[in-house]
Amino acid sequence: MKLARIALRNIRRNKRRSTLSASATAIASMAIVFMFSLISGMKEDMEKNISSYVSGHVRIREAQYNKYEHLNPLHLRITDYEKILPELSSDQRVEAFSARINFPTTIYREEELHRAMAVGLNFTTEVSFMDLESVIIRGRLPENGNNEVIIGFKLAEELGIGVDDRITLLATTMRKSINAMTFKIAGIAAFPIGSYNKTHLMIPLDRVQYLLRMDKSVTEILVKLNNPREAASFAEELNREFKTSGNTELEVQSWKNISIIYGFMSMAQVIYGFIALIFFLLASTVLINTTMMVIFERMREIGTIAAMGMTGKEIVRLFFYEAVFLSIVGAFAGLIVGVGITLPLSAYGLDFGAAMQGIDIEISDIIYPRLNLFSTIFVFFYAVVVSSLASLIPSTRAAKIQPVEALRYTG
Amino acid sequence: MSYFKALAYKIKQILGGIKMKKLFISIFIFFSPAAVLMGITPEEILERMLENQVHDTARIEGKMIIQDRFGKKTVTFVSWSRGEDNALIEFTSKYEAGQKILRNEDELYLYFPDAEEVIRLQGAALRQSVLGSDFSYEDMTGEKDLLDSYKVTLLGSEEVDGHDCYKLQLEAVSRNVPYPREILWVDKELFIYRKVHKFSLSGRLLKEMRITRFTRQNGKVIPVELLMEDKMKKNSSTEFIIQKIEIGIPIPEEKFSLRELTW
Repeated sequence: MKLARIALRNIRRNKRRSTLSASATAIASMAIVFMFSLISGMKEDMEKNISSYVSGHVRIREAQYNKYEHLNPLHLRITDYEKILPELSSDQRVEAFSARINFPTTIYREEELHRAMAVGLNFTTEVSFMDLESVIIRGRLPENGNNEVIIGFKLAEELGIGVDDRITLLATTMRKSINAMTFKIAGIAAFPIGSYNKTHLMIPLDRVQYLLRMDKSVTEILVKLNNPREAASFAEELNREFKTSGNTELEVQSWKNISIIYGFMSMAQVIYGFIALIFFLLASTVLINTTMMVIFERMREIGTIAAMGMTGKEIVRLFFYEAVFLSIVGAFAGLIVGVGITLPLSAYGLDFGAAMQGIDIEISDIIYPRLNLFSTIFVFFYAVVVSSLASLIPSTRAAKIQPVEALRYTG
Repeated sequence: MSYFKALAYKIKQILGGIKMKKLFISIFIFFSPAAVLMGITPEEILERMLENQVHDTARIEGKMIIQDRFGKKTVTFVSWSRGEDNALIEFTSKYEAGQKILRNEDELYLYFPDAEEVIRLQGAALRQSVLGSDFSYEDMTGEKDLLDSYKVTLLGSEEVDGHDCYKLQLEAVSRNVPYPREILWVDKELFIYRKVHKFSLSGRLLKEMRITRFTRQNGKVIPVELLMEDKMKKNSSTEFIIQKIEIGIPIPEEKFSLRELTW
């Protein structure tokens, strides 16, 4: 306890040095807290976008559809989807579901043809699946049964069109013929996936079924679960049910089994992990470097206290205490500042739109950092442990030096 | 005519009692087209082939049987044409009913009953497939001005399905053509192409067209069944079948107008 009191007195005695040392810990802790939150926000964003726009947690398709997806095989469809939906709706594990038709289209505008992607969906039920209301920046959502669309704002800009304008869409029908229909722009959307804003249109499902001559059928049903971790078991169970009921042409896949998406998420995890590791290493370097510098700088002081009779072990413990106290203060301050920066950003978001230009991945232009209690506490203890342990290296070395040599030490 | 009379008289002198009627039949056989045209130019071959293909006016009812890797479908249509410049095709099959393609000289328009505007196709869009078939819009509405757009060379003679054919090579002299190079096998007797190969600029075979049946009408030999294969697609072919053809019938000019298209 005596050594702890001396350590505290030493910290108070040289405020500038102590502040510098604690600041290094604070900055490193703050940076890690922020980076962890940003990475967590990116992961959450990507998972949300993939589950809402691309695959759901579970996806039901005709078994051959994936194989021929590049050929737009609309005839490989789910014909009795209206029978499947009530079953999904009665399942407690299901949060929401969406029956859709994805298809490539060509927009005819002022004698020019522009390629685009379109999704036919039920706007009444889709609102709960991917919160479409929130993406409308002008106008409104289309109404089922009307020849209306919402269009990504960048595509609208490229075509020079706005709300209430009319566009004609050409598309290959289920029988590989061509059909065209004119639609009114009901709303302009800023989809969270940047690339969608340049390429996508969304149209009432019933109008798409008519345009593509698909009768009452869809190409896929996406399912969102209350607990996404149950996706694999849910998909397996549904597959079994379909087989039992004779629906052998349908295939249910968990989003982890949809190779491209899972591969992408795995790749993203690795990239995020790598970024976090680099930050950890950088922060650790700052912590170790600062602590060691501070101790080496005090070599003469170590020589003096050794000459006054303090043993080597006591010297090591003294500096260890100092490092612990300073790192606790620094790490705590870092957490406060880190949380202070992250919280407002988690509400307002960080716009990476310009940086993401031309990158076609399922990540939003605006990322909302997400604070994670576990990682924040972990960062606190990590900073304290690294700083404290870093003090042991120079202080152990200093304790072994003869007092006379330590007094002569010039660094 | 005097040449034939003199020739007949001479032959009559030589052969004695042969009747004039029989003589003229013999002359006709002797001077049959294949024989007469031993020294024919490639341009003349092409001209005679086009005479069979291009009609002052024509109304056709037909169908396309389109086969791809996923199955077969049939599309029916009615078409009206006037010379090389005007053609109107209206589809009548259930899922395509009311859709129309209009060609006026170099302009090509598509009409869809559910679209508020007529779509004018131009440039690369003309090379798109018609209703998923192996025909492009350019193929369907006919290649015009072949003699102006291509340099024609006679490569020799070859048999196609047992028929002796002139092998013609067409090399584009204008950029405004769908295929930079084509090879046509033109039947020496009937002056219809038996087979056509259409190539890309790099020399890759893009399409093969074969005539599988023809009919004679108004002194013309008219192909009524042909098979087109897009060599860029796997397991893909289109049978184009003319079920009824009327040629030389009156067709009002307005039939090929944009106003008529939207009716």
